[in-house]
Amino acid sequence: MGSSLPPKEANLFKLIVKSYETKQYKKGLKAADSILKKFPEHGETLSMKGLTLNCMDRKTEAYELVRQGLKNDLKSHVCWHVYGLLYRSDREYREAIKCYRNALRIDPDNIEILRDLSLLQAQMRDLTGFVETRQQLLTLKPNHRMNWIGFAVSHHLNSNPSKAIDILEAYEGTLEEDHPPENERCEHGEMLLYKISLLEECGFLDKALSELHNKEIKIVDKLACKEQEVSLLVKLGRFDEGGQLYRLLLSVNPDNYRYYEGLQKCCGLYRDDGHYSSDEIDRLENLYLSLAEQYSRSSTVKRIPLDFLQGDKFCDAATKYIRPLLSKGVPSLFSDLSSLYNHPGKAEILEKIFLEIEDSVRKSGQYPGREEREPPSTLMWTLFLLAQHYDRRGRYDDALSKIDEAIEHTPTVIDLYSVKGRILKHAGDLAAAAALADEARCMDLADRYINSECVKRMLQADQVALAEKTAVLFTKDGDQHNNLHDMQCMWYELASGESYYRQNDLGRALKKFLAVEKHYADITEDQFDFHSYCLRKMTLRAYVEMLKFQDRLHSHSCFHKAAIGAIRCYLKLFDSPLKSSAEEDDETSKLLPSQKKKLRQKQRKAEARAKKEAEVKNVESNSSNVSKSGKKHIKPVDPDPHGEKLLQVEDPLSEASKYLKLLQKNSADSVETHILAFEVNMRKQKILLAFQAVKQLIRLDPESPDTHRCLIRFFHHMGSLPPPMIDSEKLIRTVLDIERPEISQLHEKSLLEANEFFLHKHEDSLMHRAAAAEMLLLLEPGNKAKAIKLIEDSTNNMVSRKGNNGSVVEWKLKDCISVHKLLETVFLDKDAASRWKLRCAEYFHYSTYFGGRCSSAVPSSSYCQISKNPINGGSSLPGGGISLDYVASNGNLEGFKDLVI
Amino acid sequence: MGVGGREASISLDGVRDKNVMQLKKLNTALFPIRYNDKYYSDAISSGDFTRLAYYSDICVGSIACRLEKKEGRAIRVYIMTLGVLAPYRGLGIGTKLLNHALDLCVKQGISEIYLHVQTNNEDAINFYKKFRFEITDTIKNYYTNIVPPDCYVLTRSFSPPQTKK
Repeated sequence: MGSSLPPKEANLFKLIVKSYETKQYKKGLKAADSILKKFPEHGETLSMKGLTLNCMDRKTEAYELVRQGLKNDLKSHVCWHVYGLLYRSDREYREAIKCYRNALRIDPDNIEILRDLSLLQAQMRDLTGFVETRQQLLTLKPNHRMNWIGFAVSHHLNSNPSKAIDILEAYEGTLEEDHPPENERCEHGEMLLYKISLLEECGFLDKALSELHNKEIKIVDKLACKEQEVSLLVKLGRFDEGGQLYRLLLSVNPDNYRYYEGLQKCCGLYRDDGHYSSDEIDRLENLYLSLAEQYSRSSTVKRIPLDFLQGDKFCDAATKYIRPLLSKGVPSLFSDLSSLYNHPGKAEILEKIFLEIEDSVRKSGQYPGREEREPPSTLMWTLFLLAQHYDRRGRYDDALSKIDEAIEHTPTVIDLYSVKGRILKHAGDLAAAAALADEARCMDLADRYINSECVKRMLQADQVALAEKTAVLFTKDGDQHNNLHDMQCMWYELASGESYYRQNDLGRALKKFLAVEKHYADITEDQFDFHSYCLRKMTLRAYVEMLKFQDRLHSHSCFHKAAIGAIRCYLKLFDSPLKSSAEEDDETSKLLPSQKKKLRQKQRKAEARAKKEAEVKNVESNSSNVSKSGKKHIKPVDPDPHGEKLLQVEDPLSEASKYLKLLQKNSADSVETHILAFEVNMRKQKILLAFQAVKQLIRLDPESPDTHRCLIRFFHHMGSLPPPMIDSEKLIRTVLDIERPEISQLHEKSLLEANEFFLHKHEDSLMHRAAAAEMLLLLEPGNKAKAIKLIEDSTNNMVSRKGNNGSVVEWKLKDCISVHKLLETVFLDKDAASRWKLRCAEYFHYSTYFGGRCSSAVPSSSYCQISKNPINGGSSLPGGGISLDYVASNGNLEGFKDLVI
Repeated sequence: MGVGGREASISLDGVRDKNVMQLKKLNTALFPIRYNDKYYSDAISSGDFTRLAYYSDICVGSIACRLEKKEGRAIRVYIMTLGVLAPYRGLGIGTKLLNHALDLCVKQGISEIYLHVQTNNEDAINFYKKFRFEITDTIKNYYTNIVPPDCYVLTRSFSPPQTKK
């Protein structure tokens, strides 16, 4: 380094490097400048000066200098390495890898560059390259522990775990007998556990087990060691030993569901689907009875039997389980039980239990058949449980009457208001739900959870400004919601994006959806530091698991939702593009010249005002930053806070395709993915890709209304195209001609017949009928009346459930809303739409969408008046005498009448 | 926790900006009066005298006081409200709240604590008499919207603290 320089300057060069490493950038800059005074063309010095400037936030200068340096000294590995580091700091990993490779061509054995390269290869999953680099590093420095481990991990990642084992064993061979020293015991233990997990992965179960037994003494993480051992025993079919070990683990933690599951497997009493024979149920019951004696303090051991018990036994066990929790007051009891509602018959039994408890506690203050008096709160918790039960069953009137009674009983319990809000949300009154959530929030201003719940309800009710204000209550320094972005608060960004989308503010919606996408890019980025850290700390099992997690990161539900949201925005943008400036000019040209002039002046003034405001804001935020941290820390100002620039994309469909690809790769089993793929590709005229989407939909759900729509629309579109002219079009036709008979829905039928067939097959289902009607309209626009009749003739059956009086209409609110939108926007039939609305208002009388009579959309409904005062304050002991002016009531939307809907 | 968790614990906690809504909810349920903001700011500034009572983590009752300056530097305490939600009465919660305020008076050397009560509210009058409150005055037409409109002033005086000789 700096070899071409005379001794004095060579020393100065070393100083630059040292200053860079110790972050004394000013010192380094000085040294660089004094070399450059004498040798202004010295490449390596120019490069190093650039790198130093890069750390001082002078990016453009940095790139110029580094490039200049490289040009002056193309044969220097230092210049290439520096160029690579520069790219790396800007996360341009592919470019950085190229630079490192050039550097290595000049200096193939440079350890530092090799190590940097290996990190980038791991990050980019260039696994063959990673193996090569790691091998080179080991060959160069075999006495370094990290090089052995790195080489082994690289083979494991490159799908060669048995090679990884060989390397680790060779490494162990280099160690002394008394290894490890006291300060390396954790690291060594982790290495051993990693090796054993590799043996398991390769299927060398016996060897893994014997290795584990031999090295047990050297493994520090005893719990992980036992869990590994039991996993091996079960895989080897040694169930007796496995069972014993699971019991041992249960004594350590009797609330770990996986241990119970494992023990059941060892006893031959485990089924994935949860369906057991009556003999098995008896044996399971006995197993858990004996376990419950041993672990009397565990709630898990009492809860699990509710999953497999049936009938009377379930009834007894559930009663025993529920009662103490109601006495104690456990607000989460319903969510604990809610999975049981998926088991046939259990919801009815639970309802019976709840009602018996309610009746008995209300009358005597005791549980049925018990002597002890219950605390007064038991009745309230029982009502709370019942309200959630009815909510789950879709009986919103009953649910609301129970929750109102609970609030009247004890108006200070926050959960009651949250649940009431949730019931109203399910019943279709989003504004009232938000008001209730806000009431809950006000009761404990220090609780972030209820604050967040309230924000979410407000966003669902499209009260974005209010939601933003509420969310900001819990961000640091009450800073704007930028802070929520920094905290990667994705639920907020998704809910707010969806709200903007509903309000047709596509710019802001896109802004939020893309913000979520950005978080995922950041999460991918964040793994970079761990490539070196984990090898050094030997947390190899966690490291490999983290890499695997990163590989499927984009299948996470938040990304899924964000990508769907963004694609929908782009589709909308394509279907109804913004007015271009030319068109706007066209509109202004209709005006008189004087009017035009005025308009332009107005616009100019508005622009100037906005600019000024933005500047003032900037100054303000900067000055506040200065005062707080002492030194100047400028937050970059978002140049496009409302997403207006995002709307000006040239080609919305190609933007949509970017996110679509990620969905297809990571969420291939989601119906949504392929519906969007169909929509995007139809618009792009990509026939075969659209057809592929149709085939995927048929694979996932052949009978769904959406699949039917896409299928019919696709072939209808094909039929409407002119005959193919060029070869590629002819080829597409040939493919489709071969494929069409393969589709069982079509076979030899015409599209009209296929639609008819579909209708008859699913004539009892509203959504299927609506799809058939929509397709009928598409195929035969003249048959509009017939199509509308198809929808209107649908019958909404009352589903009554045995064992109770309450019955529920079959149709879902969500579905009815989409049918209404269909009538309004596709059929363009206002009369039919308003007939539908009237009809649905009867079914969903809390729905604001349909203007149901109990919803907050109707001025005379109970939620817009202050209803009667609860009478729970009968004979209290009044003290002070402040004049009576106003009677409000708890939980009945006090002050809600002020809200504008 | 007692047998079967049946012995619920009763605890007291202060009123702050963050949880003042709990006090409002209680008052809405307990009294036919909507109290103004001054009531709540007086309650918060009375510090330890104003308390919420919790029955196994549920807020079920409260005592709200105001500190009043008498002539000189002396302070007396006025009980603005004391109440417990109906289902939770008879469990000693009101007693616990009142005792808390009385103990605090003694500790802080306060000479007098008093309150107003409607003349027909015998339950309340008897309750306070158990704590050695006495009727010291009657005010005609104190209430404007309820019958009877008259109230008693109930006062408990503490003998001046014994000074060491």
